[in-house]
Amino acid sequence: MKVTIDGIPVDLPAGTSGIDAVFHAGRDVPYFCAHPYLSPVGACRMCLVEAGTPRKGKDGQFELDEATGQPKIFWMPKPMASCTMQATEGMHIRTAKTSDVVAKAQAGMMEFTLLNHPLDCPTCDKGGACELQDRAFEYGYGASRYGFDRRHADKHYALSDFIILDQERCIHCKRCVRYFEEVPGQEVLDFIERGGHTFIDTEEGGLPVGFQGNIADICPVGALLDNVARFRGRNWEYEHTPTTCTLCPVGCSIVVDARNGRLERVVAGENRDVNEMWICDAGRFGHVFATEERLTLPLVRVGGELREATWDQAVDAMRQGFLGHGRNVGLYLNADSTLEEGAALVALAEAIGTPSLDHWPRYAHTPMGTATLADVATADGIVVLGADLGEEAPVVELRILEALRGGLLPAEFAHAHGTAIADLRLTERPARQPEKLAVIGRESRLWAHAGIRVSAGGPDILTRLSRPDTPELQAALRLLEGAERPVLILGADVLNTADAAFSAALNGLAARVGAKVLALPAGANSRGLGGLNLVPGTGGLPYARLDGVGAAFLSRLDPAAQGLPGRARGFTVVHDTHLTATAQMADVVLPAVTNYEKRGTTVNLEGRLLPLAQAPLRAGEGADLIRALVAVAEALGIRPPVRGLRGAQTWLEGRYGLRLADVPEQGVIQPPRPPGDAATGVSYAPQLWKPRMVPRPERRGSGVLGREARTELWELPMAPSPQPGGDD
Amino acid sequence: MSYFADKHPLVADIFSRYPDSPQGRRSALMPLLREVQDAEGFVSEARMAEIAALCGTTATEVRSVMSFYSTYHTLPTGRYHLQVCSTLMCSLAGSDELWDHLVSHLDVQPGDVSADGRFSVQKVECLGSCGTAPVVQINDEGYYENVTRSKCDRLIAALRQDAPPPPDNPVPVTVREDGRQMMATGERVGASIHDRGPLPMPAGAGGEA
Repeated sequence: MKVTIDGIPVDLPAGTSGIDAVFHAGRDVPYFCAHPYLSPVGACRMCLVEAGTPRKGKDGQFELDEATGQPKIFWMPKPMASCTMQATEGMHIRTAKTSDVVAKAQAGMMEFTLLNHPLDCPTCDKGGACELQDRAFEYGYGASRYGFDRRHADKHYALSDFIILDQERCIHCKRCVRYFEEVPGQEVLDFIERGGHTFIDTEEGGLPVGFQGNIADICPVGALLDNVARFRGRNWEYEHTPTTCTLCPVGCSIVVDARNGRLERVVAGENRDVNEMWICDAGRFGHVFATEERLTLPLVRVGGELREATWDQAVDAMRQGFLGHGRNVGLYLNADSTLEEGAALVALAEAIGTPSLDHWPRYAHTPMGTATLADVATADGIVVLGADLGEEAPVVELRILEALRGGLLPAEFAHAHGTAIADLRLTERPARQPEKLAVIGRESRLWAHAGIRVSAGGPDILTRLSRPDTPELQAALRLLEGAERPVLILGADVLNTADAAFSAALNGLAARVGAKVLALPAGANSRGLGGLNLVPGTGGLPYARLDGVGAAFLSRLDPAAQGLPGRARGFTVVHDTHLTATAQMADVVLPAVTNYEKRGTTVNLEGRLLPLAQAPLRAGEGADLIRALVAVAEALGIRPPVRGLRGAQTWLEGRYGLRLADVPEQGVIQPPRPPGDAATGVSYAPQLWKPRMVPRPERRGSGVLGREARTELWELPMAPSPQPGGDD
Repeated sequence: MSYFADKHPLVADIFSRYPDSPQGRRSALMPLLREVQDAEGFVSEARMAEIAALCGTTATEVRSVMSFYSTYHTLPTGRYHLQVCSTLMCSLAGSDELWDHLVSHLDVQPGDVSADGRFSVQKVECLGSCGTAPVVQINDEGYYENVTRSKCDRLIAALRQDAPPPPDNPVPVTVREDGRQMMATGERVGASIHDRGPLPMPAGAGGEA
């Protein structure tokens, strides 16, 4: 399809929108309401262009311009919104660069949008990263002729504990409304009132926790703000570090914004293959632990109490403590540690000669997954077995909803300039097909979208699914059999009891129906660490049997809070970011760094290698696991086999052929490596929000009261509060 | 307490006017809102949630649709809801003074109901009766036209006795199934497509033209 933009001819696939044609030609149009992952609606009217098409006469031939002999272009009488206009064969488009009409229309629209927009950019959190600010500078008149009072409305309207709405700043682009309808499938936001009185509100008593934070990212102005990060810094003051979230095994791309050594904000990064550009609320708001109550110095137990010490003193204390335990040392690490850290731990365990090494959380046996998240999003039949995705891997839920909506959009539509900005195939209020989804297990958020729901539990669900004994299970099996690209998703409820026989049965079923399998790993990097065989060897003790080993080293694990033994028999070293219940019982505590401050590589649930980058956070003398293990090796009198990141990568390349030095930002899928099997002795209960992650905005000094205080102040118990609407 | 729980035939009748699909069910939103408002004078949050459940949508959307129209009330109204036109023509004819008189005389402000539960007031935009300004509409019954101060006082006195005088003009209501408009009294007015026939032609008219 040939289209001409400002005289530049371009060749485009049929169905391209006008706005994408313009960007493809290297020209620019301003826009606010269009968004690559949302349906185009033409609400903001900023992307105006002049458009014209050739016309065919009665003889079926193009009507020709008498002067040039070329097909004559019939221009549409007024500027068109290019985001909702489909480019057609032979169309001509003029942008503001060549058309005064367009330039004037856009400047007029800009003036109109700014009529009621307050001039509080100097105090606005979006200032410096605001689409409205930028476009007003590029396309506006630079002055307003509006001499009247601006609209005044609530500037601190709490839509929920996490999202604060500034009603004056809203320009009514409807991105947030469409986001909730189209992505998480929750119709909880809408326009209230009309015309100049319009504002965004919900009638559901707050936004649902899950994926609400994304509206702060997509808001083109400073109307919807992240309450955890509100007033914490200006955009140009933040150090932006693109990295990978390791709170769950999805491995979403995030950008960590730090200022003065504090982690102030997390925003979503774009990774089409993993999280598109959405992240869950835990990933966005649950970062406060990285700056609050951090351990910054080693602690050594002297006379029964923990005292601050230097690393040298800590090494000395460890040397004393490890004496006499010989090889009877257990090494345990959290399953969100990087591959490099895992390699350092395995290498040290081999040097010591101890079989007691483990990561947690993990399952005794994990079946190998074969499905990618793109497979989930393009599946035409999905069965979720024993998983609570909201706790285990929230973004998988969004990818399932994407599949119910008709598959990947706008992925295959990528242009030279990047993602299509307005994909005309995306529709507002998409019809979902719940019959493509079966959920078997306990009730969860996903139930609302499932056509087939089976309340079932116990280790034999898979067997019951392969030989169904109820009509619902038969329907689920028929869904798998009838689908061309079925995907089976397994969660904690079935994986906790999985064994080799389970894997065999699963592979049998998957092969019979042609399904791909996505087994949700327990920890963020359990899939990677399991592949390193980081599990107890013969005679080794797992994490849950900590009290059986003579001396133990625990990295960022808190068994005492889980109700497990929190100490080794003789001597315990804890390497953690906070003074946890276990750390309080330990003999030596080493300060650790969070995953926001690490370089390394993690493996997500698809088996995709994803890089971690280091954000500049203040961590005192905190050290990552590799350096902490060097200190442990020194205390044990062993030459540490891995001394740094580079050494760990060399070790991994030498043993497993993994090349980690040049993992691209969007990750790379590595061939699956079966994880080693070993009994865990305890079952894993997934929990996304850990207690230290819960942000308390009032404590962070944002000035916004907590929910209880707000309720007390604003909602009188006797009568429901009157709401505007309807009556003048 | 649910409003529609014991009104299954009515609800079924309303839904039968729309396609039997999720989108069709949502279309029943407006008649259901109207039904509640006619019965209770306003639509409370509980009713919004109830209507949302009936239509298969969310209370947010119900409120969004409702707040778009100024004729739906979220606050209780009195037995007589006085709607005073305040657009240009009525304004020139003294609707501001009429409004002030009403508000002070009835001791009621917009959004309030008078102590005896009879009166509530609302300023509205053009009612389309500019030739007889100023105009007051009471409930959905009809227009009281050329409302002078003495006419206003007579009207209020009659309403206090719960004996409202007949309106000068009934409010035209919706187009019915035969495509004909109906007065609030049920009298059919205007033309319907079913009445359409050849226009009466005087002899000799038309011709070459």
